[in-house]
Amino acid sequence: MHDIHTIDPVTRIEGHAKITLHLGDDGEVADARFHVTEFRGFEEFCKGRPVAEMPGLTARTCGICPVSHLIAASKAGDAIYAVTPPPAAIRQRRLLNLGQILQSHSLSFFHLSAPDLLLGMDHDPATRNVFGLMQAEPEIARRGIRLRQFGQEVIAAVAGQRIHGSLVVPGGVARQFTTEMRDRIVADLDEMMGAATATLELLVSVEDRFERELHSFGEFDSIYVGHCLPDGTWEHIDGKLRIMAADGSMLVDQLDPHDYREVFGEAGKTDSYLKSPYYRPYVDGDDPRPGMYRVGPLARINLAERFGTPVADEGLAAFRERYGRIARSSFLYHHARVLEVIACVERIAALMEDPVLFEEKVRSQAGINALRGVGASEAPRGTLIHDYEVDGNGLITAMNLIIATGQNDLAVNRTILDIAREFVDGPQLTDGMLNRIEAGVRAYDPCLSCSTHAVGQMPMAVSLIAPDGETLAEVRRD
Amino acid sequence: MSRPKLAVWKFASCDGCQLSLLSAEDELLTLAAEVHIAHFLEATREVAPGPYDVSLVEGSITTPADVERIQRVREISTTLVTIGACATAGGIQALRNLADVEAYRALVYAHPEYVQTLARSSAIAEHVPVDLELRGCPVEVPQLIEVVSALLAGRKPLIPTHAVCVECKLRGNVCVMVADGTPCLGPVTQAGCGARCPAFARGCYGCFGPMETPNPSALTDRLHAMGVDDPTLVRLFRTFNVDAPAFRTEARRREAIDAGADGRTP
Ligand code: SF4
Ligand code: SF4
Repeated sequence: MHDIHTIDPVTRIEGHAKITLHLGDDGEVADARFHVTEFRGFEEFCKGRPVAEMPGLTARTCGICPVSHLIAASKAGDAIYAVTPPPAAIRQRRLLNLGQILQSHSLSFFHLSAPDLLLGMDHDPATRNVFGLMQAEPEIARRGIRLRQFGQEVIAAVAGQRIHGSLVVPGGVARQFTTEMRDRIVADLDEMMGAATATLELLVSVEDRFERELHSFGEFDSIYVGHCLPDGTWEHIDGKLRIMAADGSMLVDQLDPHDYREVFGEAGKTDSYLKSPYYRPYVDGDDPRPGMYRVGPLARINLAERFGTPVADEGLAAFRERYGRIARSSFLYHHARVLEVIACVERIAALMEDPVLFEEKVRSQAGINALRGVGASEAPRGTLIHDYEVDGNGLITAMNLIIATGQNDLAVNRTILDIAREFVDGPQLTDGMLNRIEAGVRAYDPCLSCSTHAVGQMPMAVSLIAPDGETLAEVRRD
Repeated sequence: MSRPKLAVWKFASCDGCQLSLLSAEDELLTLAAEVHIAHFLEATREVAPGPYDVSLVEGSITTPADVERIQRVREISTTLVTIGACATAGGIQALRNLADVEAYRALVYAHPEYVQTLARSSAIAEHVPVDLELRGCPVEVPQLIEVVSALLAGRKPLIPTHAVCVECKLRGNVCVMVADGTPCLGPVTQAGCGARCPAFARGCYGCFGPMETPNPSALTDRLHAMGVDDPTLVRLFRTFNVDAPAFRTEARRREAIDAGADGRTP
């Protein structure tokens, strides 16, 4: 038996979590576990409902990335109807996903992480938050607010509203994209490009201060998984999956998401409602940990050769010069996120010039043609897969959702363990250590509401547990 | 006078409602100057001790720990406002209240030593007195700002309780039911969204939950006459507000009709 520390709640993570740190006989932290304790049960209660309802229902798994669920659910629906959405609909969905990544990354960076990065991890907690940032650095806070607002406006233009929009449907989207919508977006583009590049400069200028975090926040080898085009260009919604080993060699390229079960297994856990997917070929036996992989911004930029847009590619080149071709530290998720923000703005700008976006035909109609459909895309936090089975009437008979935060679960546990080893000293939980565990978890930007769709969710508590099972220290904030 | 204290609490939810507050960027800046946002985990780790003048509660009660925590929240809050369908009606996760409990049992009760879940997802008001309800999935930003500013100013918030239909007419929408025969819950759903879905030529799916005095049987009888089958009618009421009493009762009634239990031929 082990000793456990629990941190509860990990604030500024969307959702709630509980962490236990188990001490070994030598008094060092031997194991760290991240538990999800809330259960909502989407995969069960969606059974018996028509596939056409899935975009609207599954969007409610998460208020931060509802668009990702809209898209994955619609793509799974496309597969069941065996239709290809019209080109304009594909463009609109691309635009929507870019808006989503942009707004979610801005929320993660400015609202949730910038207070730590800019004000310092040991800054007074009373003002180490977005409101404190607004006071201390109003210009920077404003940039973040504007970038997020812009991303949400792009979403509202396509989906009808900022959160839980309803205009993305199997077969395409519900309405034509107009030049008025374009004009509103175009009017803000220069400001957004300026805000995004200024953010990158700012981040680069402070990154040196975090040498210790860089090496202790999840610096390890892992597999990387995400969408990527065959020629190595960064991709977020179309195309197939690339799976890369820690040294950059290719394990699988262009895997059709439909066949994900061939390479990924899912480990259910006894102490959490979160499932942990793993890379099957590396696992032999019950322990899924050798199959640990990372998804999300860091994985995507490791997988890709290039963004395919000039400003983001310039940033990527500088990043690689500094951290190497494969960036290993999860602390660099922040940097990857900011590079993706730039890429999103550039790609939104390019789409605004694409005449196909404005075409009138936006939806293909068909009946039920296949009894299984898999839809996948890159959510801000990583690869998202919706897998549905239906009966002849299109009613769901089985559903599996593979969520980014679940896929990062093994890596998150490993990160917490590394941080705890570096910062936990003796049987006490210091505030500085708690801040760092929180910040380490937050680097992944885990979205706990949606990761616990099937089996649960959490407020966060950290406990420190001794080898005999006794709780030595416990911190809860609720 | 010290600034009033506002707290935001989360139970089982998708966080969409509290993020709506974070989306009110401009208003939030003003608000942050006027109130002390003392507990808002999405935004800050500072947790100032209660009591709080206003508590906004998102999410439904789904665990034994939630049952206790909501009591504590009530004790330390002067005014408690529930925000969104999860908090006001149990949310979409209340769909599990209807499901075969056995199907969930293996998932839910697998390891009670670590994680525990209740069989039902329930609204906050089933557990503690609630001063005000704000509907929607998610709530509307202007309504949220209205509630907070009204409470701070000590006046009654202006929240309509009539049907979406009224807003639809005000907006000048063409009625989707009359024009295209699209099933729409507008006549029985509480206003507040500005009739968003009908404005996009879609039927309302009731995310604001039942209006004050709804007549859902009249609506479903009409839809049935238009050719909508009973299973579809049942599902229409079983989404984000499945456990709101008026919707729950109507879904059951249609289910009984479908099963032929009322003696009518389905
Ligand atoms: S009511 Fe809807 S938007 Fe609000 S928290 Fe619940 S699921 Fe999310
Ligand atoms: S029209 Fe109905 S479903 Fe649509 S936003 Fe309004 S209340 Fe919700």
